[in-house]
Amino acid sequence: MKKSQNFLRIALMTGMIMLALFGCGRKEGTEGGGKSGYVYVPEYVQIDIECDHIYDAVAAGDNLFLSGVSWNDDTGENKNYLYKYNMIDKQIQEISIDLDTDSSISSMTVAPDGKLMILINRYTYEQDEEGNVTNAESAIELWDVSPEDGSVGEKKDITKLAGDSEYAYIQYFCVDGQGNIYVSDGDNGIHVVKQDLSPVCDIKLDNWIQGMIPSKEGDIYISSYGENGLELRPVDLNGKKLGEAVEGMAGGYGNTQYYTGVSQSLVTNSSDQVSLFDLSSGTSEPLFKWLDADIDGNEVSEMGELSDGRIWAIVRNNSESASTGGNTYEVVFLTRTEASKVEAKKEILLGTMWLDSNLKKGIIDFNKTNGQYRITVKEYGGGDDYMEGLNQFNADLTTANCPDMISLSNIDFEQYASKGILEDLYPYMEKSGFKKEDYLENILKAYESDGRLCGILPQFYISTTMAKASLVGDKTGWTLSEMLDFVEENEPENIFSDGTRSSIFYYCIYNNIDEFIDWQNGKCFFDGEDFIRTLEFAANFPEEYDYSREGEGISSKIRSNKLLLMQSTISSVQEYQMMNGMFGEKIAFVGYPNSERKGNLIQATGGCIGLSAKSKNKDGAWEFMQRLLSDEYQDSLVSEHGSWGFPVKKSALEKQFEIDMTPDFYEDEEGNKIESPKTTWGWDDFEMEIMAATQEEIDAVKEIIASADKLSGNVGVNEQLTSIITEESEPFFKGQKSAADVAGIIQNRIQIYVNENR
Amino acid sequence: MSLFKRNTSVIDEVALDKWDETVRKKKKIRNARRLMRLSVATMAAGCFAVLFLLPIVLTVTNSFMSASEISANYGQVFATSSTGGKVYISEKVNLKFIPDMVSFSQYITVLLKSPEYLFKFWNSVVLVVPIVVFQLLVAAGASFGFTRYRGRMKEIIFFLYIILMLMPYQVTLVPNYLVAQWFHILDTNWAIWLPGIFSPFAVYLLTKYMRRIPVSMMEAAQIDGAGEWQIFRRICLPLCKGALCSIAILIFIDYWNMVEQPLILLSDAEKHPLSVFLSKINAGEIGLAFAVATIYMVPPILVFLYGEDYLVEGITYQGGIKG
Amino acid sequence: MHFPGRKKIKSDSEQTKKQKGIRKKSDTSPRTRRGRRISAGYLFPSALGVMLFFVLPFFIVIYYSMVDNPISHQFVFLDNFVMVFQNAAFRQAAANTLTFSAAAVPLAVVLSLLLAMLLESKIPFKSQFRTFFLSPMMVPIASVVLIWQVLFHYNGMMNEIRVLFGADKVDWLNSSYAQAVIVMLFLWKNLGYNMILFMSALSSIPKDILEVAVLESATPFQIFWHIKLRYMSSTILFVTIMSLINSFKVFREIYLLKGDYPYDTMYMLQHFMNNTFGRLDYQKMSAAAILMAIVMVIIIGILFLTESYFGKDVEG
Repeated sequence: MKKSQNFLRIALMTGMIMLALFGCGRKEGTEGGGKSGYVYVPEYVQIDIECDHIYDAVAAGDNLFLSGVSWNDDTGENKNYLYKYNMIDKQIQEISIDLDTDSSISSMTVAPDGKLMILINRYTYEQDEEGNVTNAESAIELWDVSPEDGSVGEKKDITKLAGDSEYAYIQYFCVDGQGNIYVSDGDNGIHVVKQDLSPVCDIKLDNWIQGMIPSKEGDIYISSYGENGLELRPVDLNGKKLGEAVEGMAGGYGNTQYYTGVSQSLVTNSSDQVSLFDLSSGTSEPLFKWLDADIDGNEVSEMGELSDGRIWAIVRNNSESASTGGNTYEVVFLTRTEASKVEAKKEILLGTMWLDSNLKKGIIDFNKTNGQYRITVKEYGGGDDYMEGLNQFNADLTTANCPDMISLSNIDFEQYASKGILEDLYPYMEKSGFKKEDYLENILKAYESDGRLCGILPQFYISTTMAKASLVGDKTGWTLSEMLDFVEENEPENIFSDGTRSSIFYYCIYNNIDEFIDWQNGKCFFDGEDFIRTLEFAANFPEEYDYSREGEGISSKIRSNKLLLMQSTISSVQEYQMMNGMFGEKIAFVGYPNSERKGNLIQATGGCIGLSAKSKNKDGAWEFMQRLLSDEYQDSLVSEHGSWGFPVKKSALEKQFEIDMTPDFYEDEEGNKIESPKTTWGWDDFEMEIMAATQEEIDAVKEIIASADKLSGNVGVNEQLTSIITEESEPFFKGQKSAADVAGIIQNRIQIYVNENR
Repeated sequence: MSLFKRNTSVIDEVALDKWDETVRKKKKIRNARRLMRLSVATMAAGCFAVLFLLPIVLTVTNSFMSASEISANYGQVFATSSTGGKVYISEKVNLKFIPDMVSFSQYITVLLKSPEYLFKFWNSVVLVVPIVVFQLLVAAGASFGFTRYRGRMKEIIFFLYIILMLMPYQVTLVPNYLVAQWFHILDTNWAIWLPGIFSPFAVYLLTKYMRRIPVSMMEAAQIDGAGEWQIFRRICLPLCKGALCSIAILIFIDYWNMVEQPLILLSDAEKHPLSVFLSKINAGEIGLAFAVATIYMVPPILVFLYGEDYLVEGITYQGGIKG
Repeated sequence: MHFPGRKKIKSDSEQTKKQKGIRKKSDTSPRTRRGRRISAGYLFPSALGVMLFFVLPFFIVIYYSMVDNPISHQFVFLDNFVMVFQNAAFRQAAANTLTFSAAAVPLAVVLSLLLAMLLESKIPFKSQFRTFFLSPMMVPIASVVLIWQVLFHYNGMMNEIRVLFGADKVDWLNSSYAQAVIVMLFLWKNLGYNMILFMSALSSIPKDILEVAVLESATPFQIFWHIKLRYMSSTILFVTIMSLINSFKVFREIYLLKGDYPYDTMYMLQHFMNNTFGRLDYQKMSAAAILMAIVMVIIIGILFLTESYFGKDVEG
């Protein structure tokens, strides 16, 4: 009898475990469904306002109050604006509050009773004859404004809360559920006063604060950086201090903003993800990613939640207005909608380790305008462990999860090409009417494998190393032994300015890996003289660069031959002009050592995308990719003052050169046209004004571009190799083993790698 | 005759006395030899025991050292650029058993300051316990199936089980991944649980044990009118109690230390068990490694102390491949 | 010789055979058929799971081993096997795995048997010693690796002791000693469990046989060789199998010690498979896996034959 009872108990227990397990599983399932079952659909409202810059926005009920400033060219003064925007009937209405020209709206908040409270900062000063500021005075007033008609009620002077000096200043300002007013300069302390300004308490701060936010419950929270990144701590009025950090908040060092919530305590915006946070349970509910709503999270200036569950946000739109200067703003309402109700587009997945910001803009643009396809992004490099992400990426590429487009920016594309994962893009270019000859062929070739184009790169720069031509001779490349000979002739500490051991490895080996590994015959040469010499050379450099070390500026070191080599990029004509100025004499762009003496390397910028051979939507993917090669896109890369890379299309590059050669003028008082500098460039101690480029300078840049036909090493170097070399060379650097011993072990381990990879 | 007889008896007595004496002497010598042999054996066993215990003792005692003491002692081995230069590192490696100063700082960090360790610990429990429980349940059923009504078909299947059991994990790595993907359980705990629950290892061990139960017992029960369920419940399971416990210990220890499976099947590092995390502890966190390892050792030790007798007893009946 | 214990077992099995015979005749009896079905039902959940998570994957491996790459799925039949056979890394890995298992498994068997006999010799604190020897099973692999590193690193304990005696430092993990170090690690981890298996086998040898042997003035060696060893033949084979399984698991320790590409004497087949997986070379990986599986089947087959041979020997 007893035994059967026991058995019953065991059976019950297993049943319960089963239930718990399956229950768990089901819960996970629905959660996953929730994420994909709903989308947030954006609705854009162009707001028709005069001001250039929105300073602050707060929501009170259905109304959104916007404060902004505009620079008036005629009067040379700032004008303040205050708007009320009704989110239901979508009417904008200017609230005219009478402000003199010395005053500005510095902050706004909504009190629990619904009235709007505005901080007015009045700054007055006199100038003496020499233009020195005297008698500066700063006064701060707190105005109550009726949200209905904008009539100003009580005005209180709170200057003494803000330091009562000529620098009176309030950075953060809010009101809690009891109507207490909190003000802080962000650094020294928080002052809490009642509505009648009678003091409640002062709280000392030991750290800069990043934000002061009332929660839905009416408590005030402070965000600041603590031990584990951003933390949120409540203001404890009774204890007159800040409480313990809220748990469950994803900290980190990103740019996370908090806003008062409506359905839950707080809304958090981590610049790519929006979530709701419940303070009582410490749980976070992810709502959506900005990218999925076709919004660039970095451009969101203010946001909040509405009572009907919608999310509002103010989004800067500076891409369109770059020519006119200033920003335009859009109010976006995001409505939670069932995915099935949204017009289905064919999904195109882009797999990447990290999403390039240019590419991100391009994707948002494409998604907004294309009616048939929609690009989604999967970032693999976001986790803690790079290798893990890469493994996951690899695993996905061979299965049904394979992305349609593969970002080749940080991965060894040849490995994927040899597996047949990447589609040849030349036929696609032909089909779309793009001619190979219209593009820089040596750049395209860098992403070729067996004559097949594996990736589209819209923009690139050149990685190089410079030396005085008078020292190394006029050449565009050298072999490793030539380079090491050169080093031995000179004092090694004069070779690189901030060289470390790993940077020497990068310079001598990783960018030149083909010479140490012969893939054809499965041999490697890490026990050879070149490698041992490199080890000995690297031993002269510190393991980590000591940034605290100060010394002579870089240009004077170069000029006095205390620095012989300088690694840099050439990403614009202006950069070349600056380098010329810095060296003060002819530069030899020797680049990285290799046996072909072709030392300048190509580095993609603004993304590089390959097309998966497995993709079911190749046409859709190509539709996006071809934009990167289109005249429109390539011409948009041309910029007035030189951008961060050269466009790959020859015509666009010529246009860029043309602009670089066109001088700027200004008219002096007598009306003479005088050439003015186009821009100013500097490096370390050196600074120079860049004038229009000469034909010789343009030709020199063209030559540098034409001399490059290899990709920069960080594309091709396997982390396996670098970690073996770093690990095993350490005993040599510590003086415990000889260079030859260490080289032998490295040779042994890498030989296995080579054998295996054949 | 009588004299002779007597004589012989005298001789016999003398001889017997002598014999007795030599035997006693021999016994003494043997006893002395035995004692010596025993002490040598004990010494040898003691030496071995020290060697075997060393890592456990080291891990536990070093967990009471402060991070700076650990990096001073083992800096020569683990120091990398992140700690190099600024931290004091002794010239030689110090394998120390007794901390200079007993410090709980490691434990305070692990248990109080950074909840991630406890979180990962809980992940381990969540991953391992269901595997142990259900692998045993499934295996108990399967071994009963293999034991009753043996036939050619079942023998072939059993042989297949043995081969599958012997395959290194790397062989089934990719297929496991693909299967998990088909079932849409990738990145969930199910991807670890399901292959674990159906692992042939426990089936093999348990079948070997169950087949040693005399068939007559089951037949007798059958004749008495017992159904298959009763035979399973009343005869097989009670007799296999020891074996079940010992197999549970083996499975538990095996999965408690798993590293490869979570790394490949769970891309979300939040879901990884502590074993994965422990294996990644690098020079920077070496100070914590010992405390985390000690905490991680607690469940296996408890399981072990609780079940050691079963482990010994359970194994007793195993042996032989075919069973 | 007289083996009462064995005889009993034998008679059991004879009985079984008889009953089997009876069953055969009454195969059609509804009760037996029902029993068969039910027992198959007990097997079913496990068989289904094994089918889905172990057998089916194996067929995927076979499929992958015969296509050119996991994207285009072009059938190439045996090309991958040829390629893998010609691959120097694979050959090295296979040779290393073979020598490692060939050295470690017999050592594990012999040493654990010696340990078991040591503990059987009625020394004091027997159960304590047993627990001590089992303790390595409990230590997390990561801390094992940590301690092994402290011991065998170039600046580690072992070299310090060597220097103390005036010898030169040896780079244990980056030289031909590497495999020996791994064998030691393997033994340290596995001797305890094997020892327990042997201890129980030793204790189950019928006492009367041993007494008879002593009375017939057999030398201890003879007792060991002719009685104990024969009696334990099945346990020895079982221990061999378990050690073989565990010898494949040593990859985890090597991996944590030296990463994906260790010194060439420590480079195992699992490294080859792990790395080819990481590099999308599924076809190479699958071909290697199948070759390994074939070798495993052969080894198990041999072990089976040996056991049945020895089994007969004891019974006869």
